[in-house]
Amino acid sequence: MGDDRRGWSDSDVEAVLGAMGADELELLDPPDEVWDGIASAVLTEESRPDTVIAMGPQRRLRRIILSAAAAVVLIAVGVTLVVTLGEDDPVQVVATAELAHDPVVFDALGAEARAGADLVDHDGRQSIKIVDASLPTPEAGADLEVWLIQPDDEGNVADLVSIGLLDPEDPGSLDIPTGYDPGVYFVVDISVEPRDGDAGHSGRSILRGPLQDV
Amino acid sequence: MYGDLVYTFCRRTLDEGPAKDVTQEVFISAFRSCKRFKPERGTLAAWLIAITKNRIIDHVRTEQRHDKRRSDASPDEVAVESQIEKTGDRLMVVEALRSLPSRPRQVIAMHYFEDLTHRQIAEKLSVPLGTVKSDLRRGISQIRRQLESAHG
Repeated sequence: MGDDRRGWSDSDVEAVLGAMGADELELLDPPDEVWDGIASAVLTEESRPDTVIAMGPQRRLRRIILSAAAAVVLIAVGVTLVVTLGEDDPVQVVATAELAHDPVVFDALGAEARAGADLVDHDGRQSIKIVDASLPTPEAGADLEVWLIQPDDEGNVADLVSIGLLDPEDPGSLDIPTGYDPGVYFVVDISVEPRDGDAGHSGRSILRGPLQDV
Repeated sequence: MYGDLVYTFCRRTLDEGPAKDVTQEVFISAFRSCKRFKPERGTLAAWLIAITKNRIIDHVRTEQRHDKRRSDASPDEVAVESQIEKTGDRLMVVEALRSLPSRPRQVIAMHYFEDLTHRQIAEKLSVPLGTVKSDLRRGISQIRRQLESAHG
């Protein structure tokens, strides 16, 4: 991973997209026999008593690989129920946030706004679902945008990432970009973002709240 | 999850048989070395793509060594590896695009892969022209941010 560092600009991304064809979006699933080979190698190793149990994201990675491998093994013996090696249901709400408006520092547009946020895990893919929402429609030329914030020890913003634009009439779900751990970026923020060419946070938050495990 | 990303990378650079073998090697290697995955240094997709790229290059180099024994003519190693790198970059863009919310993803696909103008996209999606421009700009920025985080 460390050997592949390079900078990217928006124009680099545009150049790559411009050079690509639509057919390149179609990805190929590996044939079952590929998973069979992975399953036999991986499950054999996992059954060894001296296997070290990895923690955190590494444990998740092992689970992803094991889940895929386990599915192949189960299908092979005619079992139709796909499980994820003792983990919980494939789709589940793992944390929730109650988002609140701070009249002192937040944008007045959100004075009457309310919403909650559910952190949903779907087979390893995580998303934020905005629930119970009553959201304002921003002024012309602006959108609502959802962010995940990593706070520092004093509760200030250490880092943040946009997870997408929000339709106030139909908030729905937004996928969390890969590489961002909602256990670290655990504060959900909704802001008003003018279409001014600046992709950073406008500073015009309307609602914010921390995710808490259910 | 990510099986399609890894296998597609292999199939776009290798024949079918070696592509299957290398895909297996990548996941077994990832499983064995999962403690080396550091999410603060990049995404899981990027880590798997990096492992895949290295395995593909190893495979190609081995094949080239065999070819050299059989013939004086050998492909340009640098050009081949550059092509592998480019394929990996494109798949990282595809992965970043897949993680975008649906409307920006759709807008980017319509603009770049269906060659529609901003106005045509606005008409097709029944959204204001400014929304299309905003989705495009923010979508590109989100892809770029993902690629930057993917590369540490």
